[in-house]
Amino acid sequence: MSAADIPALHTDSPVILEMRRISKTFGAVTALVDVSIRLRQGEVLALVGDNGAGKSTLIKILSGFHQPDSGTIVLDGKEVHFGSPREARAHGIETVYQDLALIGDLSVYHNMFMGREYHKRILGLKLLDNRKMRDLAETYLGTLGINIPSVNSKVELLSGGQRQSVAVARSIYSSPTVLVLDEPLAALGVREGANVLGLIQNLRRERKVSIILIVHSYNQVFEVCDRINFLHSGEIVMDASTSETTEEELIRIVKSGLGRDAIAAAAGRLSSET
Amino acid sequence: MVGIKKPTTFWERLLFLLSRHREASIAVIALLLVTYFQVGSNGQFLNVQFLGVVLRDTSRLALIAVAEVMLMITGEIDLSVSGTFSLAPYVMALMSAIWGTPLAVGALVGVALSVLVGAANGLITVRFRVPSLITTVGTLFLLQGVVVSIYNSQPIVTPVEQPFNAIFGQSLLDPRNDSIFSWHGITAFSPLLWAVFVILAMTLVLHRTTFGLHTVATGSNIVGAREIGVRTNRIKVYNFMIAGGFAGFAGILNTCQFSSADPAAGGPFLTLQAIAAAVIGGTSLLGGSGTAIGALIGAFVVATLNNGLVMMGAQATVSDIYLGAGILAAMILNVQVDRIRARRRI
Repeated sequence: MSAADIPALHTDSPVILEMRRISKTFGAVTALVDVSIRLRQGEVLALVGDNGAGKSTLIKILSGFHQPDSGTIVLDGKEVHFGSPREARAHGIETVYQDLALIGDLSVYHNMFMGREYHKRILGLKLLDNRKMRDLAETYLGTLGINIPSVNSKVELLSGGQRQSVAVARSIYSSPTVLVLDEPLAALGVREGANVLGLIQNLRRERKVSIILIVHSYNQVFEVCDRINFLHSGEIVMDASTSETTEEELIRIVKSGLGRDAIAAAAGRLSSET
Repeated sequence: MVGIKKPTTFWERLLFLLSRHREASIAVIALLLVTYFQVGSNGQFLNVQFLGVVLRDTSRLALIAVAEVMLMITGEIDLSVSGTFSLAPYVMALMSAIWGTPLAVGALVGVALSVLVGAANGLITVRFRVPSLITTVGTLFLLQGVVVSIYNSQPIVTPVEQPFNAIFGQSLLDPRNDSIFSWHGITAFSPLLWAVFVILAMTLVLHRTTFGLHTVATGSNIVGAREIGVRTNRIKVYNFMIAGGFAGFAGILNTCQFSSADPAAGGPFLTLQAIAAAVIGGTSLLGGSGTAIGALIGAFVVATLNNGLVMMGAQATVSDIYLGAGILAAMILNVQVDRIRARRRI
């Protein structure tokens, strides 16, 4: 699917991120084939697809964890290359991974500032400014209404929902340009899930953060998304705007479209191999 | 709200206390051992000379053990430290014997080489993905072979160059003439002072620096640490370099003490004792937790067991039985404490 086919939703807001024709293989396994996605400022894009469709690989390329075999990433009009997660974070791309990437043996506040620690100089030594990080974490989690026993608690003592909240809080603390959430509702109960969705809506409304959500089924996030991209076997097989379609329509399109495109894609691969 | 299960039975309560104050509990064991030997030897244990021997062994072990603690926190281990322990002072002695190089310069070269050996261990481990257990067994044999073959496996007598020797391990203390607060009195404890200095420095590094934080992160959750931007490979290599450097430095202290560089100074046994010290000191083999203070206390326990039993007339081999039992007990306790810790999670 070329970029021109993507329906213009926020036609007034500029494109903040484009991933163009990204391909990635791991040994004999083809994870992504020529995948392009486009994200406008303040937009929430849902990436949907079955297990193994390539969703996580795509966002791990965006977050610098994997490097693509081919294809380019354009951020705010400039082509960028991320050799490591550190570089992606430095460019304002924050990711909440499925495994949350929290360090169980460390405190909540050390986790909050992992990779961007505050320091102070004592006798010329560059030491961690633990008090500052503790205070900032406490204030910030408080403003987000995240309820944890203490920022001094080791993360391994928190519940699943609390951990998820800490991971999300960490990712938005630095006011990222693009926020990527991999299965943000996976470990959550109904109430906690609603909290995270509320957080996402606030981010979009108040800070104009552009968000990519990875989800298994789109119905749980239909209200917060502007567009939905379906990934199937490493290819985007459908791109739909949620304002122009209904949930029922989408389900119908996916059911019919998936089969057709999947067959076409499989045939294409076969012919290119022979 | 998260619920933290309150420990109920006596046993659980004890383990809970231990999990919160691991170093303290090992310190209690150390004190019990000292009392036992002091009473058992009719007050011979706590005299200056004997305690001096124990503290020297403690210092040597602690320097290597703290390096193992750092590595074990990242989830790695270095079995080649006894090789670097022999290599660094041998290089120093050889340079002195052949070129007349001052010991201080030779020591710097020796420690630098040890750091390079550590870097090699680290790079092989992270680049070629060889488990460090295997990598460092390889370098252990390699180093031992090299050190032995350099000079026909002969010990080299090193010159005495004061104040270098006194500062780095030689005891000039004459108990009849010297006050304990004189230069000779203080330098008699130079290995211990070095060990304490290194332990304090590493405690600061672990708790108050980004490097320490990332070291814990690497061992606690390596994938997560990488995802959030911790350069886990680099962290591991640096810790291998620290291990090499400390082991080499411990070797220099040992050589200065005896004014002789013995190519067989650091048998593989030394490595294992250092690892035992780290484990007794509460370091988890699973990575993510461990303290420098624990390494010091663990080293003291191992040195006390070794020397105390020998002093009380036991064969050296018998002390190994106690040491072995001690390690097993410490390991079982560690695992139990970890389980209690895990169960408090809901």
